[in-house]
Amino acid sequence: MARVEVQNVSLTFGVHKAVDDVSIAFEDGGFYALLGPSGSGKTTLLRMIAGFEFPDTGSIRIDGEAVENVPVNKRRIGMVFQNYALFPNMSVADNVAFGLEVRGEKGETLRREVADALDLVQLGALAKRRPHQLSGGQRQRVALARAIVTKPRVLLLDEPLSALDKALRTDMQVELKRIQREVGVTTIFVTHDQEEALSISDRIGILKDGRIVQEGAPEEIYDRPASEFAATFLGEANILSGTAENGRLRLDNGLAIDLPPEGGTVAGDFRCAIRPERVHLSALPDAATAGGQLQGVVKRRSFSGSLSTYVVDCGGKEIKSVVQRGGGTAIEIGRPVELRWNRDDLVMLPAA
Amino acid sequence: MTGKRRDSGLVKAMPLLLPAYAWLTLAIFLPLSAMVYFSLLTSMSPSGQSATLTLGNYATFFSDPLYATLLVRSLELGLIVTLVCVLIGFPAAYVLAKIFKGRAREAIFLLVILPFWSNSLVRVFSWSMVLREGGILDTALNAILPFKVTFDLMYSYPAVIIGLVHSYLPYMVLTCYLSLQAIDDALIEAARSLGASRFTTLRRVIAPLALPGVLAGSALIFIPVVGSFMEPRILGGHGGTLYGTVIEDQFTAVYNWPLGAALSFILLAVVLVILLVSAPVLRKAA
Amino acid sequence: MIRAPAFLSGLGRFYIGLVLVFLYLPLVIMAAMSFNVSPFYQLPFEWTTEWYVALSDNDGLIAATLNSLEIAVMTTIIATILGTAASLALFRYDFAGKRVLQALLFPPIAIPWLISGTAMLIFFFGTGVGRGLHAILLGHVALALPYVIIVVSARLATFSKDLEDAAYSLGASAWQTTRKVTLPCIAPGIVAGGLFAFAVSFDQFVVSYFLATPGQTTLPVEIYAAIRKGFTPEINAVSTIIIVFSMSLMFVVSRFFRFGGDQ
Repeated sequence: MARVEVQNVSLTFGVHKAVDDVSIAFEDGGFYALLGPSGSGKTTLLRMIAGFEFPDTGSIRIDGEAVENVPVNKRRIGMVFQNYALFPNMSVADNVAFGLEVRGEKGETLRREVADALDLVQLGALAKRRPHQLSGGQRQRVALARAIVTKPRVLLLDEPLSALDKALRTDMQVELKRIQREVGVTTIFVTHDQEEALSISDRIGILKDGRIVQEGAPEEIYDRPASEFAATFLGEANILSGTAENGRLRLDNGLAIDLPPEGGTVAGDFRCAIRPERVHLSALPDAATAGGQLQGVVKRRSFSGSLSTYVVDCGGKEIKSVVQRGGGTAIEIGRPVELRWNRDDLVMLPAA
Repeated sequence: MTGKRRDSGLVKAMPLLLPAYAWLTLAIFLPLSAMVYFSLLTSMSPSGQSATLTLGNYATFFSDPLYATLLVRSLELGLIVTLVCVLIGFPAAYVLAKIFKGRAREAIFLLVILPFWSNSLVRVFSWSMVLREGGILDTALNAILPFKVTFDLMYSYPAVIIGLVHSYLPYMVLTCYLSLQAIDDALIEAARSLGASRFTTLRRVIAPLALPGVLAGSALIFIPVVGSFMEPRILGGHGGTLYGTVIEDQFTAVYNWPLGAALSFILLAVVLVILLVSAPVLRKAA
Repeated sequence: MIRAPAFLSGLGRFYIGLVLVFLYLPLVIMAAMSFNVSPFYQLPFEWTTEWYVALSDNDGLIAATLNSLEIAVMTTIIATILGTAASLALFRYDFAGKRVLQALLFPPIAIPWLISGTAMLIFFFGTGVGRGLHAILLGHVALALPYVIIVVSARLATFSKDLEDAAYSLGASAWQTTRKVTLPCIAPGIVAGGLFAFAVSFDQFVVSYFLATPGQTTLPVEIYAAIRKGFTPEINAVSTIIIVFSMSLMFVVSRFFRFGGDQ
């Protein structure tokens, strides 16, 4: 159990900067998600923390010890691989025992630790099975038990749930969280699934093109995205771009909206984001009765169970609104509507 | 990968690679170099003290038409054997890949490949019992036919071809089978659904896709057949004098090693030229 | 697929039958003749095992057989170790010139054995390595190496690098990883590669022929000499034994390694 500190780390493959001057700290016992699209450098960063890749520049510290030149097998980390990488030539118990055996443990201590680890992941009954006799979820648990039985200083997970189907994935997220709490190990979790990152982690780091674009608690990142990329990659967002003056934003199509209070001083080209579920719709009797921040006409709508998504045409700019489907009737396509939101829900983005 | 990383890869790979390549150097590459050197000597004194360098051995090849004639004969034999193997082997591979299924296919494939892994010398020898006068074929023919025939293919050119085809046919079936098996049945169904006949499907879809297998098999057969000497000796008798047997003679009977080395090197050069010329075709097909 | 009409598929089966007859008939006849009384293969067939008995008194053939077995076993051990090590290196590491190195593995297969054999004869003779069993062993290992590397590499292609990474992440050293994870996982390929090496060596004639000396010879070379002196039923008997032995061996290989050959 340890704090992991990455400082100004860069790694270049040929001409491709896989990781570009990344600094991030992972606090002791925390559950971190590294989130990003493929090619964003999240897996490379994880593999550098693990010790499979070595940074060209920068430092990596685990528990205060500089490890950037320590090979993986001396780093005392635990890792769960995307395809689990269970040794097919060994039983479940032998897989879990492997890390202890190479450290020289044997006999009763070894047996007890293996049994404890398997009990922790609720697989005590399957100790004698071979990996190919297990289901995907069971393999996942074995991989987890194998990684934590050696009491690693940090647990690294490389898209561990991506091979599971959706229902099982949700179960495993809960299970993973429980086990992590129980063991208390600092955990770094790489994923491209934003919902997974939001639901499972204490903190999220978003990567793009080898850089960390934002880092923080899930709610914080969701509510206050620091960039258009963060806003659109983590959940959906309406991006409103235009020219700011006197606390108002004149959109590219000529319409204008109020900026949040802190936007009173900005001027020039400017962008804001607003989440679709923060955009409230109400139908107007006719286009003449103006109100709300913007007015428009319903262009499309779709249902997804309990939610309805409306796309409203506001003078050529499409704005998305997600509303709970209550008892009321749906608004038909072609109806004039007004759009309202709380000024504080509007997130100001830095100039692109 | 950066240059640094690739260099360190070679450094790490060296201890594991070195023994294998050292062995190949000692047993293949140095001997081939020695052969080139030897082919330039006047006499076969191993120390090379009394020998001087000469192109005479190569001149011998070009001045005596016998060698060129035999080389052409060997190349011709290689061509015939390869062609017969394609004609017999491709249909066999096709039936195996597209008609047989499951365990039957596996079993028959194994049966076809198995002889290849038993001693070729012994298999060539076994034909002498079939082909000679008073042999099995002769006896069987005379038992069936009402009139007396004398059947004796032993020590003839056809006997050499039969023996070589028998030796190398499994190669062709193997390579054709591997490329035919890789053809998705859906492609054949698609061609048929578009109105192509069986023959058109074979000609326009299957044959082009199976070409790499046919070519690979041809190379694997042609190269050793051109250098064959044991099969012609056993089955060809006096008619079995070929380029390979002449080379063998230089080393085991005449003891003119420099000439043998020159003849070997010419054969190697011819084989390499043929491979190089066909390389673009091979690559295109692959 | 579109099923062939019954008569076409029947024709196909019949054709395969003919091909198999072509491949096996001479071998079956040879085996039968090794049990026939007549030394000139005359029919009618009369059962005897006298040629096999005569074989057991033929010291030359027995010595050659033992030499062949000894060389095949040593070739298997050496070629399997060298070939597996090289395959691992080519699997694990990336470096400039790797493709050239890989291409350099193929000359032993791609060059006619006649040329390899005569070249070895010249080189070994010229450098004082000389001829004999040690020279034959040198040659056989070189001929068998590419086969081992092809078979082991094919097995490694199905082996996930993640397994090695997993072992390292659990604290294993490079040697522990190789011994406890990599080698056990590719064991079937190593066994198959070793059996290939055995078969290549045990059946090898051409290269052995040029490197053998009268006292130090292998079974195929001895058989060739006997054939050229004239047919004897003893050769039938020993050939039959060889065929049965080789085919059984490759049958076992095919159990380890599907189809026994992907080159």
